[in-house]
Amino acid sequence: MKPKADVKTKAGSQIKVITGNAAAAIGAKLARPDVVAAYPITPQTEIIEQISKFHADGEMDCELITVEGENSAMNAVMAASLAGGRVFTASSSWGLVFMYDAILATAGARAPVVMVNVNRETPGIIAVSSGQQDMISTRDAGWIFLIAEDCQEVLDLVLQAYRLAEDYDIQVPVMVHYDGFYLSYLSEGVNVPLQEDVDRFLSVLNDQPQRTRLLPGGKLGCGTHGILGGYLELRYKHVSALERSKAKFEEIDKEFHQIFGRSYGGQIEEYRMDDADVVLVGSGSMCGTIKAVIDEKREAGVKAGLLKIRMYRPFPSEAMVAALAGKKAIGVVDRSLCFGFKGGPIYTELKSLEIQLGGSKMISFIDGIANTDITKANVEQMIDTTCDLAAGKDVREVTWVSYPEAREPDSEKTGGL
Amino acid sequence: MTEKKKGKLTKVLDYLKHDDPFSKGVSFCPGCSLELLLRFIPQVLGNDIVITGTPSCSAPVLLGQNNQSWHTLSYFGTLMTGAAANATGLVRYYKKAGIKNTVVCFNGDGTAADIGFGNLSGAAERNEPFIYICYDNEGYMNTGIQKSGTTPFGASTTTTPFGSASKGKNLRRMNLGLKMAMSKIPYAATATLSDLDDLAKKLLKAKEAKKRGFAFLHVFAPCPTGWGYATENTIEVCRRAVKTNYFPLWEAVNGKIRMTKTVKKPQPVSTYTELIKKFAHLNEADLKILQDDIDYEYCMLGGLSVLEGECQLPVSSED
Amino acid sequence: MSSNEFLKHEGPWSDANDPLMCSDTGGWRTKRPIVDKEKCIFCGFCAIYCPIQIMEMVENSYFSPDLRFCKGCGICAKECPKNAISMVAEGDF
Repeated sequence: MKPKADVKTKAGSQIKVITGNAAAAIGAKLARPDVVAAYPITPQTEIIEQISKFHADGEMDCELITVEGENSAMNAVMAASLAGGRVFTASSSWGLVFMYDAILATAGARAPVVMVNVNRETPGIIAVSSGQQDMISTRDAGWIFLIAEDCQEVLDLVLQAYRLAEDYDIQVPVMVHYDGFYLSYLSEGVNVPLQEDVDRFLSVLNDQPQRTRLLPGGKLGCGTHGILGGYLELRYKHVSALERSKAKFEEIDKEFHQIFGRSYGGQIEEYRMDDADVVLVGSGSMCGTIKAVIDEKREAGVKAGLLKIRMYRPFPSEAMVAALAGKKAIGVVDRSLCFGFKGGPIYTELKSLEIQLGGSKMISFIDGIANTDITKANVEQMIDTTCDLAAGKDVREVTWVSYPEAREPDSEKTGGL
Repeated sequence: MTEKKKGKLTKVLDYLKHDDPFSKGVSFCPGCSLELLLRFIPQVLGNDIVITGTPSCSAPVLLGQNNQSWHTLSYFGTLMTGAAANATGLVRYYKKAGIKNTVVCFNGDGTAADIGFGNLSGAAERNEPFIYICYDNEGYMNTGIQKSGTTPFGASTTTTPFGSASKGKNLRRMNLGLKMAMSKIPYAATATLSDLDDLAKKLLKAKEAKKRGFAFLHVFAPCPTGWGYATENTIEVCRRAVKTNYFPLWEAVNGKIRMTKTVKKPQPVSTYTELIKKFAHLNEADLKILQDDIDYEYCMLGGLSVLEGECQLPVSSED
Repeated sequence: MSSNEFLKHEGPWSDANDPLMCSDTGGWRTKRPIVDKEKCIFCGFCAIYCPIQIMEMVENSYFSPDLRFCKGCGICAKECPKNAISMVAEGDF
């Protein structure tokens, strides 16, 4: 259904029909972490259950810590990482924000932690359903955020996350996001790499200089006070590392393709964008539906394309500007809200690049919140509306696709902006 | 010329086998019990300990400033919310990597009894192999003397000040040491700075117990600045806390409690409070409430303890 | 990678392989301990109870404080079993 780089099945590697959660657990297992912290929360629980089973069956040689809360999970893996270990943990929504202080500390300490966040609605309203609000709630923590579209990409991104986080030039923690319920519990065919290929992919890290570690008798201490110029220096180093991670992620995509035969395009994936007039910008599992609808629209003569965001933090500004410049109209699909702004968060961020984008017009679609499906009909509506925008018609700046009651007063229409 | 009469050099010095890794000029208040404790620990346990510290009175000295340190120990500056979890991560990785270590998770009562209690409890339940030391100065001192879970009844702090409508803290303290003893961990003990040989022995026992799992030390560490007593009285305050059973000295192996010092004739709590300004506003009736709380805790201790050797049943102040 | 003007590492690490910081805490005190060498029985209580651990053994006979760092808390004087230490106002020196 969706054209992709050839999926080469290496001799011996298997296609398994597994859920997104299982894919994440297998990805973690293949990376051979030293320390894993586990605390359950829907819709992530299966990940840690799988890892626990691998551990109990002797398939995973790691220290498995069954912590008493997510805050402890992040604190434990952060410390293990600073001591020199490879680590893993997973969480979602409320659990993610419970570890928020530790998430900030991990990024500030430049500990190369890798974790998976299964996107779930909240925090704010009690809900056990999918949405990217948890990702949005933590986007300023200073982590690298990667977003997966399907179960294969979940597994692949976990592996790439280790390669990226632990790279000596980067040393920034990485969070892999994927939609809860849609991917966590959905079974798809996933090409599970061979252990030896994963070892080879990550072996690049062994040839790099050793990062700073906390060891007995080492006379080094982590968590020093940042004072004035020192604080600024630390922040500047961190921001610079985030910027470097963009190019590094592109490199890693190529390295990954060399070994595993799959390429995703790096920071963003451009789907039928070369000659597109109108573009939808999206992320995560919605992209599968969007690609299907785009194919149908193309049959009908509509030049539509999709820009799929894979690296959300750092925001792939340069790549997006290069891909979007000159497009007539852009519809940004957000699976979350940006409190304080009318439009969605990714829309608001992309709007900050309006000038670089030249004359491209932009509108915001908010959909897929709390398990309200982003259906093919919804996507058709989004593409049609974006086409209207391209044609100079009056359209709402912000559309809550599944909640038509959220209508803006007429005075707030874009009016051809 | 007669040779001057010499006493015996205190045996405590024998426990101080290692160098003091701290710089001599560090910002602790004059007479600070925490300074004594922090210098004491690595002299007994060795300079290759990995010590974790949180925002607290110890932070300005345990944690560095930019590139520079105040001491030569490996340290990890953590948050109060996750101290024991950080230590867990360290020891689990060291175990996986086969790195011999003694991790000391060093926290005040604010972290141990309040904001960081959850992960202390979790680490104890999982029997993680490190030493958790709580220095109890009965309040959040670094932020300016606020009340914590271990602040005793009647104490005046900046968040429980005495006034025309208040007698200070109107709640009894939480006994952290007993809580941890009842977690059935390999080793839990109380100690203080007037009995330094007892403290040294307990540090070494904790290090030994770490081979079997979690070790917890609750150290009574008075604060001249926060409590209001002359700086010279720090050790005397500790001594009187022990003599009045305000802070009994015991140890617990796998949850079985044993007194390590039994006070045959405990003095009334007023001999302790009379030294300390934070209790100065209390009248007899208030002191009785504090005395009853001390007696109750001691009875609980007696009830839980294994009576061994010279251990006696708790003696009430009314006897 | 970025400059290392204030810190040697990429992250917030301090390095005790470099000289330690040291404050002039001797300048804090208003009184200083004076040890009467004859009364001193060399028991070592002042040494173990000094929070800064600055009591030094002299000729295996008496203890003497390192005045560069003594904060003048008075614990040594208080704990000496022979009252061999007195706290004398700094102004007298």
